[in-house]
Amino acid sequence: MTRGDDAFQEAGARIGAVALVALVAGVVLGWAPLIPVAAALAGGLYAAELAIGDAPLDVASPAVAAGLLLCTELAYWSLEERTRWRGHAGDGLRRAAFVAFLGVAAFLVATVLLALVDALRARGLALDLLGAAAAVAAIATVLVIARAQRQPNSG
Amino acid sequence: MTRTGSPRLIGYASLAAVGLVAALALRRPELAVLAAPFALLLAIGTRTAREPRISVEFVLPAERALEGTEVEAVVGVHTDRAVDRLELLLELPRGVDVVAGSRTHALRLRPDESCELRVGLRCARWGVFDLGRVGIRARDALRLVTWEARFEHSQRLKAYPSPLTIQRLLAPLETQALAGSEVARAKGEGVEYADIRDFVPGDRVRAINWRASARRQGLVVNERHPERNTDVVLFVDSFTDVRGYGRSSLEEAVRAAASLATRYLERRDRVGLVGFGGVLRWLQPGMGATQRYRLIETMLETGVEPTYTWRDVNLIPARILPAKSLVLGLTPLVDQRFITALGDLRARRYDVAVIEVDAVPLVESGRSEIDKLAYRLWLLEREVLRAGLVALGIGVATWGDAELETVLEEVRTYRRYSRLAGA
Repeated sequence: MTRGDDAFQEAGARIGAVALVALVAGVVLGWAPLIPVAAALAGGLYAAELAIGDAPLDVASPAVAAGLLLCTELAYWSLEERTRWRGHAGDGLRRAAFVAFLGVAAFLVATVLLALVDALRARGLALDLLGAAAAVAAIATVLVIARAQRQPNSG
Repeated sequence: MTRTGSPRLIGYASLAAVGLVAALALRRPELAVLAAPFALLLAIGTRTAREPRISVEFVLPAERALEGTEVEAVVGVHTDRAVDRLELLLELPRGVDVVAGSRTHALRLRPDESCELRVGLRCARWGVFDLGRVGIRARDALRLVTWEARFEHSQRLKAYPSPLTIQRLLAPLETQALAGSEVARAKGEGVEYADIRDFVPGDRVRAINWRASARRQGLVVNERHPERNTDVVLFVDSFTDVRGYGRSSLEEAVRAAASLATRYLERRDRVGLVGFGGVLRWLQPGMGATQRYRLIETMLETGVEPTYTWRDVNLIPARILPAKSLVLGLTPLVDQRFITALGDLRARRYDVAVIEVDAVPLVESGRSEIDKLAYRLWLLEREVLRAGLVALGIGVATWGDAELETVLEEVRTYRRYSRLAGA
């Protein structure tokens, strides 16, 4: 299978549709766990493209990262607004500006990171170890947060 | 305050972990780049989130309000730290609606800032309502962590029943000894003319009717009816509450009882109350404005407490039901125990009248033939019950859509007729 293959494009369209359905269902039904699932599916599709493709480094990844973050932020925001809260007039605009700022910041961070990776070009054991350590740290963070959620502190 | 992670926290942590693991497995640094913003947000958000100290006050301007009128509640919020978003939910009991403002507010507070929210509340029905429950949820700027708390201020709002228009009240057959507004049937010192009779030694000279004396060639004096007060006991059926189509028989009975009590007390009558049901509530007859407040606040506590035990009038202390008092029953005529109690009171020679709060429009007949038959039988049984009460000398009038005034007139007419029939 290659990147331009019909079979790949068909599979990609299906996965994209599933991700979109998951996102819409999460927003409409108010079920938050569907939002990261949708983002993960979209990210998986991108990962499959990268795995099949032969480009050494995809320069579109900062845009994809910013897009994914924006999608998830907007979806979570819409979940928060499911209840009609009476607030100040400019609250919505302020939040929209903040989300836009997050998107821009994510794009910049991802660009810097990609530039760093490109500069190093260290495709060896060091990068693997760094990646493994980062993955372990991320999983540990998830576990710590999950445990902290079950221990409410009163004050 | 209870600290919890928002769904965003778990979602971003999962996405960061999946991205990093995938980057490692597929040996593609772009996937790590994809995960980096999520991981960075997590790191910054969890490090910078600080618990704010928030205090909430709930103030009601008055403890009492009239059913259907607006009461403005003030919710005060203060925080020591900045809160990017503070969600505030006013938890209201059933029967209390928001007419001005909103019960949900989203605020943005700076450090050491106070905020005051004004919410217009309206009690849709009479009763005692516990207000002052406020739930809050504070979010940090990145919306990763939330702090939740619930404040309970003991603020009770007593919603008095809205008064019904009553011009003319039901007069008891006999009056009491104290002065009042009801013209007694007996003769004595008063204003209302009753009759004339021959002068006897000891009669006051001012009582002599000179015109009649001139015609009859002898002294004749006027006799008058004295104005006396009466004792009225409102006998409210709280065994059953028939509800339907937004109406409640008990609510209407209490509304009528409150209006009657107010009007009787205005004419210096003594008014007592018996809430006869699962829980027996009574208030000794009394007069004046204080008694009015006592009566209405006792009525506000009236509710249906289901019981299968038999209850009769022997449970009611004798001082609650004075001799010669008018017992005014307010009932949907559904529970046999209350109907038996009315019969018992009549058998003890109390002057009893019944305002039947019409429960028939609140009950729907079923669809099947058997259900329809059962409904018709129930209607017939009610007719029999009414006829039984009338046979005992108890005036019964059904209060449906008509004004209470009209219903009282119906009872008055029956009582006038029955008196004529008995004479």
